[in-house]
Amino acid sequence: MALMKRLFLKIVYTPRALTYNVRHLSTEVAHDDSPVEMENPFTKEKRQCILCKFNITPDYKNYRLLSQFQSPYTGRIYGRHITGLCQTKQAAVEREITKAQNCAYMPYYYKDKTFFKDPKLFDPENPIRSHRF
Amino acid sequence: MPSYEMAMIIRAMPKVELKNALMRISNGIFDRGGIIRKIENLGYRPLPYKTSAHGLVHKEAIFFVFKIDTATTVVSDLKEEYSRDVDVVRQRVFKVNEESEHACTLETELLPPAYRKEVQEMIKMGKSQVNRFRHKFSYNSGLDYYPFQK
Ligand SMILES: [Zn+2]
Repeated sequence: MALMKRLFLKIVYTPRALTYNVRHLSTEVAHDDSPVEMENPFTKEKRQCILCKFNITPDYKNYRLLSQFQSPYTGRIYGRHITGLCQTKQAAVEREITKAQNCAYMPYYYKDKTFFKDPKLFDPENPIRSHRF
Repeated sequence: MPSYEMAMIIRAMPKVELKNALMRISNGIFDRGGIIRKIENLGYRPLPYKTSAHGLVHKEAIFFVFKIDTATTVVSDLKEEYSRDVDVVRQRVFKVNEESEHACTLETELLPPAYRKEVQEMIKMGKSQVNRFRHKFSYNSGLDYYPFQK
């Protein structure tokens, strides 16, 4: 018991002695160490969709870009949960694809096979939110 | 005069005839007091689907885009004229998109549902409506008892 008490005292008192020493040394510096108003330095960088990031406006004449948002199997437009676009850009992409299909720049029921090797902008197997299917 | 884009698909034909066809199309615009800002040739390529026009089935065509300024009332007139043109396979007129600055809202869309504005509005709307699981039906008979056999 006596040993325990001694240990306890040692643990409790050593830090105090230390802090006292430190305080004593840095009395002048403590003045500048007051809290500073600043933004949270740990906030994450704001995520942007790929079209906003590169400032691209989808256009019906650029059917090669638009075909990247089309399924190679059915020609349907991938949803927002797959493409990872913001609402405005997704709506614009869908609108322009409809226009391009309407004036025969782009097929309705398949993807042009010359664009099959284009870089993939997203992975349909890993959607942001789960599929309905 | 608002700006329009005319996507014209012209049937495959030799250069001399193509020139004549383009002249004819352009003159149609000029005759109605419009101006052409630009004519873009998107090239000769196979159509994504076969298209029949004026009794012929087309599988390849030449793609052109006319950027024009015309009066709004003239557009339907132009369309009617080009629909009679034998060399035009397909034609579409679109209004030019206005440049709009918008900030990306992806960050707010990826928040958990309870923090999303659209979801909050949906919850609010749901609360304002009658909940058929909690709502107690009233007979509106003015009587304090039910007059019929239950
Ligand atoms: Zn965006």
